[in-house]
Amino acid sequence: MRIVIAEDDPLLREGMALLLRAESLDVVATAEDPAGFLAAVDEHGPDVAIVDVRMPPTHTDEGIAAAVEARRRRPGLAVLVLSAYVEQAFATDLLAQGSAGLGYLLKERVGRVQEFLVALRRVAEGGTAIDPEVVAQLLSRSRPDNRLERLSPRERDVLALMAEGLGNAAIAEKLVVTDGAVHKHIRSIFAKLDLAPTDRTDRRVAAVLHYLENGER
Amino acid sequence: MPTHSTARPWGVLTRSRAALDALEHLVGGLGTATLALLALMGLAATAVLCAVGVGLLLAPVALRGLHGAAGRERARLSRLGPEFVGPGSPPAGLRAELASPVTRRELCWLATHASLGLLLGVAGLTLPFSAVRDLAFPLYGHLLPPEEMAGAAMGLWIADDLPGRLAVSALGVGWLALCLLLLPGMARLQTWPGRRLLAADADTDLALRVAQLTATRAAALDAHAAELRRIERSLHDGTQNRIVAVTVMLGVARRALDRDPAIAGEVIDRAQDAAEQALADLRAVVRGILPPVLEDRSLADALTGLAAACPVPCRVDADLPARCAASVEATAYFIVAEALTNIARHSGARQATVTVRRTADLLLLRITDDGRGGADDRHGTGLGGIRRRAEAHDGTFTLTSPPGGPTTLDVSLPCGL
Repeated sequence: MRIVIAEDDPLLREGMALLLRAESLDVVATAEDPAGFLAAVDEHGPDVAIVDVRMPPTHTDEGIAAAVEARRRRPGLAVLVLSAYVEQAFATDLLAQGSAGLGYLLKERVGRVQEFLVALRRVAEGGTAIDPEVVAQLLSRSRPDNRLERLSPRERDVLALMAEGLGNAAIAEKLVVTDGAVHKHIRSIFAKLDLAPTDRTDRRVAAVLHYLENGER
Repeated sequence: MPTHSTARPWGVLTRSRAALDALEHLVGGLGTATLALLALMGLAATAVLCAVGVGLLLAPVALRGLHGAAGRERARLSRLGPEFVGPGSPPAGLRAELASPVTRRELCWLATHASLGLLLGVAGLTLPFSAVRDLAFPLYGHLLPPEEMAGAAMGLWIADDLPGRLAVSALGVGWLALCLLLLPGMARLQTWPGRRLLAADADTDLALRVAQLTATRAAALDAHAAELRRIERSLHDGTQNRIVAVTVMLGVARRALDRDPAIAGEVIDRAQDAAEQALADLRAVVRGILPPVLEDRSLADALTGLAAACPVPCRVDADLPARCAASVEATAYFIVAEALTNIARHSGARQATVTVRRTADLLLLRITDDGRGGADDRHGTGLGGIRRRAEAHDGTFTLTSPPGGPTTLDVSLPCGL
């Protein structure tokens, strides 16, 4: 797995490179600003990019724009975006083009190395990784016509884990239930939310986030 | 304008200065009175011509003359001080303009100033002229033809010999005494109609004040939001990144423990460094919110600290006998901090000076540098921020920065005590 890191804070940039290299992953380049990042993507043709949202010059959302641009230049590039805080608008911007090979995590998740590596691999393989914090924020948003209220508490748990990008087996493991039970819950969720069920993880996330983002249709 | 004599020996001196000031004002008043007379004649001619019909065409021009003369007088009164607030411009349209109270009051003033004001101005000029003429009479009196000698003493005596001429000179002393006695009063009398009739009425004055307060309050809120943004940014991009780096290092160290404890130890050292950096960042952020030294010690100490941290050599000259309100001192502190940051970044200065003084109700700041000048508070957020901070406190901000320097920044803040 060939990785490019875009992060303006030198300490954090070096720390992440150190962490990934210690796990025998191939960090081919690091960049401190969007221009350097795009140049590195063009030059090295990485499989995954890890991008900080806030980068120079304005330190607002340059990272998101750079990630979108990098995926335009190199379709299929997996991008894991790291953010100092949860901002739903960032997630929406990113997922506007589809959720395959996309991740959006809080920065501090990097410290939980095992979980971070799982999320990174999932994204690199074309899956999705959305931070639990983002999912919680999306789920807790109140709407006038909230079809989410039709879900049972258990179904909400399953939906939340689905939205994070976990597969059925991982969900079953987390909730300590059988695969069959998870299947049943998911079918029930899709039925209650008026969504057609499919087996592809990313499409499930896309459906979930799309529903949450756009409200009822 | 010192107009009151005191019992001290310099009473005459003070009075002389007052009389000279008054003379200057009277001459200025004579100028506007002449303008007023011209405007009045124009108006009268227009009024007469109106009877024949063509006057209506001239009316706007005549009214412009009226407003022009009134405007001159307002400008003169502002220069003499105290602060003089004029009303807004009268409404457009001839009928509305004539009906406007502003125009009517201007007309009253025009008539008074063109007569009384002119008279006072002429008299004011004549008095010192007579004084000089009569005082010097012994020097030139013997050269005059006899019939003029007869008139020199206002016809009271004939100044054809030395005692007579000296008596004329004594008359000059009398004129001089009259000058000292009357001129200040005359100058005040000359400005009186203008102050009464040309000033904005209380409502307008209040409306202007409200508009000004609204603007400065909005600016204060803007400054506050910018401040919060700065704090948010330094927490997110500085402190938080350091702490994330700590967790990343700890994660690495934990994984390395099993494989290679030596590497783990090294990484833990780096994590500790990062944690210490996070603490240092946090201290800097807190200092940026409200420096503890300001609270514990004094503004002068806090400013000395700022100057010491400034990359450009900076001298602080603070003479503050008493403390001001906490919010005022904090504002002064941040203004100096912002100004010094600006100097370090843009001015290319080799030296800067911060002067702080306190009057009865004002805190005065002056920050100068010998840099390249050309600073402008409309570009560059730093100087704009200083202006907003000052105005939020009802203070003033003056920037003098010719290209090539030096740059001087003057700020006054009401002390709030």
